[in-house]
Amino acid sequence: MPESMSPPYTAFVEGVALWAPRIPGWAVALPVLRGETEARAQPAPRPAPPLLAPTERRRAPDTVAIALEVAVGACENAGADPRELASVFACTEGDLAISDYMSETLARTPTLISPTRFHNSVHNAAAGYWTIGTGCMRPYTALSAHRYTFGEGLLEALVQAESNGGATLLVAYDIESRGPLATMAPSRGIVGAAVIVAPTAGARSLARIRWSTARGTERTAPLPRNAELVAGNAMAACLPFFEAMAMEEDRAVRLGLNHSLSLEIHFDFLTGDERRWS
Amino acid sequence: MAQLQTPDQKELAGLIVSALNLEGVDPGTIDPDAPLFGAGLGLDSIDALELALEISKRYGVQLKAEDEDNKRIFASLRALSAYVQERRAS
Amino acid sequence: MKPLRITSHSIACAAGIGLPALSAALRNGASGLRLNDFGESPLATWIGRVSGVEDVRLPGHLLEWDCRNSRLAWMGLNSDGFLGRAVAARNRYGADRVALVLGTSTSSIGATEEAYRRLLPDGQYPEDLRHPMAHTPHSTGDFVRAALELEGVVVTVGTACSSSAKAFAQAERLMRLGIADAAVVGGVDSLCGSVLFGFNSLELVSPEPCRPFDVARRGISIGEAGGFALLERDGERGPWLLGYGESSDAHHMSSPHPQGLGARLAIEAAFERAALTPDVVDYINLHGTASQRNDEVEARVVADLFPAATRASSTKGWTGHTLGAAGIVEAVITFLAMEGGFVPGTLNARELDPACGPQVRLSNESVDVRVALSNSFGFGGSNCALLFGRDAHA
Repeated sequence: MPESMSPPYTAFVEGVALWAPRIPGWAVALPVLRGETEARAQPAPRPAPPLLAPTERRRAPDTVAIALEVAVGACENAGADPRELASVFACTEGDLAISDYMSETLARTPTLISPTRFHNSVHNAAAGYWTIGTGCMRPYTALSAHRYTFGEGLLEALVQAESNGGATLLVAYDIESRGPLATMAPSRGIVGAAVIVAPTAGARSLARIRWSTARGTERTAPLPRNAELVAGNAMAACLPFFEAMAMEEDRAVRLGLNHSLSLEIHFDFLTGDERRWS
Repeated sequence: MAQLQTPDQKELAGLIVSALNLEGVDPGTIDPDAPLFGAGLGLDSIDALELALEISKRYGVQLKAEDEDNKRIFASLRALSAYVQERRAS
Repeated sequence: MKPLRITSHSIACAAGIGLPALSAALRNGASGLRLNDFGESPLATWIGRVSGVEDVRLPGHLLEWDCRNSRLAWMGLNSDGFLGRAVAARNRYGADRVALVLGTSTSSIGATEEAYRRLLPDGQYPEDLRHPMAHTPHSTGDFVRAALELEGVVVTVGTACSSSAKAFAQAERLMRLGIADAAVVGGVDSLCGSVLFGFNSLELVSPEPCRPFDVARRGISIGEAGGFALLERDGERGPWLLGYGESSDAHHMSSPHPQGLGARLAIEAAFERAALTPDVVDYINLHGTASQRNDEVEARVVADLFPAATRASSTKGWTGHTLGAAGIVEAVITFLAMEGGFVPGTLNARELDPACGPQVRLSNESVDVRVALSNSFGFGGSNCALLFGRDAHA
């Protein structure tokens, strides 16, 4: 039994979104994760970035496109106004395509770096575009914790929701690696995942969760048939959380924060008409 | 009434569209006298830098942000093309 | 909020390695900037380069993280007795009770750049660079974790120039919620082709040493640095974190909000959290990058919000703009001002931009600094303002 490290806190899941090439969006993903339907046979191409004015839209790299797609998806799922949400953007490897481009161009013709691609290379590019596209002036952060990026990102969103008393949006994403960098930072496909968490119940809350940090190396694994939907992507660790949301079973999910530290989440779904939590 | 583009203007229009990823813009429809920045094509300062880079790569002509004549040089497709062709020759 | 004590802090930057060296440089007006000599075919600009990074040899068990950023982090950890204090905290609270929040913008990208320059014919990295943890954004965070043997929350913040300022805020929340009992907050960014040629492509880089707030300023001087702070609920000595505020500009990736709306929100939020008002601030360490727009906007915001007597300066003339490390570097300079009873001026500036109010100062002054504000406004519109105090209660 993992030893709890922090007081348990209560939060509410207000909205979710998930995107991978064969489950492009929560409406498609939900029945697939539950085993009710098959995933798409043909992988979907990267989504067009929503929200952005033409100037930003034509500049948006893949990381921005997928991050905004799931951010919008979670807000729609929750019926939330993006301008009211502080946000946490979590990406393991950053924009792998731009990193490959930058290193390649620097090796050959360093004075010919594209200003557009450089300005998209910052780890907070997606977060910047999100706040510009929505006009949201609440704070954002942009994180990485390597293989623990999803766990640390979700922890930060939960911590912000609890400590600031307001709903917080987590946007987690990773794209495909290219070029020689792929030998060091492998990642396949595009995966985006978003969750909105709040410290108090709303009219449309999807689940109540009790969360804490805990010692231990035990982690929740996804079902093998679902695991292949995000396999090889640097953000694959997000899947068990969304599987739990899809299954609507009252159980615990453990996400890695560090080698021997985890984020423990106990789900509590209200069934029937009881959309009341005390 | 949009005027016809000269071959040089047409080539430069193609460069602008590809360099800046202007989705859905047919290079042949860019009016040589329409503004490039602000109104017209609606380009901004980052676009100016990106365009300067692509122009230097394609034509070997340097454009610098501090150049006082930039407003004039970048005013339209016609003005930019004329500047590029003139500098390219020398 | 309940103030937190900074019980240890350290610095390695172009103006000085270690607090005594940096303090002397600040007092003597000795800039750490030099003509760019970094890499092959260096751009004609000025940089804040830390001497001796190339000569650092990491201990054997840490070699898998070896790269310029890790070495700079190692220099920062080994300055000012920080490593010992951090390890003592780990032993006192437990390795899983000390959080690590590290800010950086480009992390280990310099190692990836080098690998691409020296690729083997088959497209593989050369053997000496074939370490995955030297080619990922969390590289330096993971390096520090390994160096300090921390087992708690460990995370990298990548919000460009506000990264290591926001790290203070993130750590405070973790401690307030009882997830950690102490935190190592740090910032490390090193010189690399990506930032030098990248900022050059945006024409933001000055051909001369940067002159923040000067009417004739011509852009930024990029610097590198590694710095750390240890946060505890109390301790024998050290300044206090009294409050912080964060916001987004929601305007443009590389230009600030023209009225400084985001900056105002962040500063106001810091005062609200600290339950203080602008008139108690003795010194503001401005973000002051020497870019046209940042300085113009920031000067107006400060003139609007603070009394004439509040002293303000940018210290980037000493260190350069250290990007992800700017937050920690400037927090440390603020601590030196508090401890030393002086405020640094705005080095390299000669004639202030008319947008500046009476607050922005050119020269060093002896001043009793009890409460100070440090601003960090990042690329991508991420803003963070930190309020520090010599005492827990202003």
